[in-house]
Amino acid sequence: MKNYFPLLFLAVLAMPVCAAKMTMPSDAPKSYEEECASCHMAYPPGLLGQKNWQSIMSGLDKHFGADASLDAKTQTEITQWLIKNAATRAKYSAFAPENRITKTTWFIRKHDEVRVDVWKRAGVKSPANCSACHADAIKGDFEEDRVRIPAK
Amino acid sequence: MLKKAFLVLAMMGIVNAAFSAAPQEILKGYEAQSSKASSVRGEQIFNTKHGKEWSCASCHENPPNHDTKHIVTGKVIKPLSPNVNSERFIDHVKVEKWFKRNCNDVLARECTAQEKADVLAWLMTIK
Repeated sequence: MKNYFPLLFLAVLAMPVCAAKMTMPSDAPKSYEEECASCHMAYPPGLLGQKNWQSIMSGLDKHFGADASLDAKTQTEITQWLIKNAATRAKYSAFAPENRITKTTWFIRKHDEVRVDVWKRAGVKSPANCSACHADAIKGDFEEDRVRIPAK
Repeated sequence: MLKKAFLVLAMMGIVNAAFSAAPQEILKGYEAQSSKASSVRGEQIFNTKHGKEWSCASCHENPPNHDTKHIVTGKVIKPLSPNVNSERFIDHVKVEKWFKRNCNDVLARECTAQEKADVLAWLMTIK
């Protein structure tokens, strides 16, 4: 039993690292970048659960205040891929209010030390703008040590 | 032999034309469905609000000849003027898709062919 302790300790140490990594699956359809990432970052599908993605994709004509409607074929392609790669662990797949990643319990807790005025800085603009502070967000790197908050 | 080569080249031209167009051709298409475009009207449509929160310039800025940021998300948007960005207004399906989305965002309805012609005519004057 004694021998297992260092292993267990290492496993606990490794946990936050896993949480800070949310890689984009390599099989993303071209349409995901083209259609979704014109207006915002191509969010890794693992940031929301299946129900949220389904809800988002069935209301694209009213997408957070904008019309993001798609032709039927592209909509099906993107929806199927999002659902296939949606979060499965309870923490990330719990239903996000208003379909917003920024309203999930884990997001709020992770960012609870960020002051209200920081979110409003020109260099940040919105909590949805992950890349403002997480430079390599697009590669799925949300590691806390590499966070750089714009001064303005 | 020469004739054959010419024929192949001509066919390639036709195939190319089916997939992409010049901004001038897209403009002509909208004018054909309405009347002659006015860049003065286009400038006004682009830079004013139409009863909603945003104008076209909210995200594309005026003049739209440089990288800009989406007003909500901060995502970088490439220049809209076809004189600065050769990727713009060459694919009819893509142009229609974005007019539909963005006209709904700005005017709460789809744009008319005349409005699209006017805006495009103005964008084509932006260097």
